[in-house]
Amino acid sequence: MAAATLAGRRLLPAGAAYALPLVAFMLLAFNLPIVLMLGWSIGAPPDVLAHYGQILERAVYLKVLGNTFRIAAIATLVCVLLGYPLAYWMRSLSPGRQLLAVALVVLPFWVSILVRTYAWIVILGNDGLVNRSLQGLGLSGAPVSFLYNQFGVVLGTANVLLPFLVLPLFAAMLKLDDRLLQAAASLGASRRTIFWRVFFPLTLPSLAAGAILVFILTLGFFITPAILGGGRVPMIANMLDLLINRLPRWELAAAISTVLLVLTLACYAAYRWVGTRSQP
Amino acid sequence: MAGRIERAAAVRSTRPAADGSAAARRADEGVLARYALALFAGAVVLFLCLPIAVVVPMSFSSASSLEFPPPGFSLRWYQSFFGDPRWLRAAGNSALIAFASSASSLALGSIAAYGLVRGTFRGRAILEGNFVAPLILPPVITAVALYIFFARIGLLGTLPGLIVAHTVLTVPYVVLLMSVAIRSFDVRIEQVAYSLGASWLRMFRSVLLPNLWPSVLAAWIFAFIISFDEVIVTLFLAGAYDTIPKRMFNELILQVNPTITAIATLLIALSVITIGLVAWLMQRAGVLGRTLG
Repeated sequence: MAAATLAGRRLLPAGAAYALPLVAFMLLAFNLPIVLMLGWSIGAPPDVLAHYGQILERAVYLKVLGNTFRIAAIATLVCVLLGYPLAYWMRSLSPGRQLLAVALVVLPFWVSILVRTYAWIVILGNDGLVNRSLQGLGLSGAPVSFLYNQFGVVLGTANVLLPFLVLPLFAAMLKLDDRLLQAAASLGASRRTIFWRVFFPLTLPSLAAGAILVFILTLGFFITPAILGGGRVPMIANMLDLLINRLPRWELAAAISTVLLVLTLACYAAYRWVGTRSQP
Repeated sequence: MAGRIERAAAVRSTRPAADGSAAARRADEGVLARYALALFAGAVVLFLCLPIAVVVPMSFSSASSLEFPPPGFSLRWYQSFFGDPRWLRAAGNSALIAFASSASSLALGSIAAYGLVRGTFRGRAILEGNFVAPLILPPVITAVALYIFFARIGLLGTLPGLIVAHTVLTVPYVVLLMSVAIRSFDVRIEQVAYSLGASWLRMFRSVLLPNLWPSVLAAWIFAFIISFDEVIVTLFLAGAYDTIPKRMFNELILQVNPTITAIATLLIALSVITIGLVAWLMQRAGVLGRTLG
């Protein structure tokens, strides 16, 4: 009996063999291309950082980088302000209603981001529902430009990314031990005190983790700024599209991708660090 | 988890029983605050679901503008989708790429997940990190890297290239889902099979697969949908190939075409059906609770 187990183990040492096919595939189709891209971003020997220098010299690139960060920060703030109360409210529901609420939050998660972005054109576009109603009611003469500006991009981004913040936050709130709140109440704390001194500090790490996740995802956003920004609110990803597909400047695209890669990894390290603290 | 919720409910219902007028006033404020919170939360849920709630009725509109509510019922936008060979070709490509890439990432990913969960070798965390990396990196980075790589080896604008790219993008989901499923399966049952003389393949076929098939199917559907909806990497790599999301994106950039509402509704229906299927399968596998923690 033991011999058979041993034979099975010896055939496939410690289980590493199972991972081999995927390791080979990923090395070839993912890691190698990333390394090649890093290679493209490096200039000819005397001036190794030439392409990175170009990013700093040209105002356009710095503007797009700044733009991306500003939109990511605003969208993250909007998600926090909308998501925390929603998760807090969901926690107070009965289990059956909680399931329904989770389903409603997850549903958009599953619908193509193109569809969700397109819907905002239907709702807020110059010829959309809101503008038609405003004009129909005589409240405004000319269509109000909700879209094709920063507001439109932030709105669309927050709409797409809100579930990423709400779901983990809600899960963390459910895990929170109620006896802590009861202990505070039994010591005479008011409801407000319990929230601000006990509940909020305990859920803050999860909120921070969710916020960083939204921030990371916004940094690489492409579709929403392209459609709801109407080319007027370019973000890093849209610039990369331009550099690769319109005016072939691969070296510059590789350098900008590398910058984005480093930023993302740095944010992700922060996310993991905050995540380990949110474990009870 | 359920026990804790019930406990919480019990505590909440006993709390207002505190006596004194100050406590009563506080309870009143509490009720008001709770209504305000419910109102706000309801508005946020509406904000989340509004896009879906608007697009579906629009797709049945008889108007060629974005009139809402639609002036009449018609299927003209569905006709314009199903009557257009370019849309149908795009749908065919999308289905083919999604099928091929989800099948290959399922095969590669499940077996690798088995190695990660059951293996005892060093560096498992690093491997898992590498497998999940395409999920964490912005897709546009993967797109740029694959564009440069494919351009060099002649895979740019080819079907095999797109399938390889979509496999890279769907592998993380398969690895994550299957790891959870395999971890939740008692390893002693596998050991019993080995001790009865079964080879790994035999154990896999007779023990693992019959027990894990709901998770396998769920992971496959998940990977299929991720691939079917993929836009960014496809935009960079597809060349002359059209997929549904790529065509939608290019149309949306140019103009507002109500045909998109019909396609959007079809995609929503596909998502709802598959999410229902996946939820049902995961519940069968008992994975859902474990995934949510």
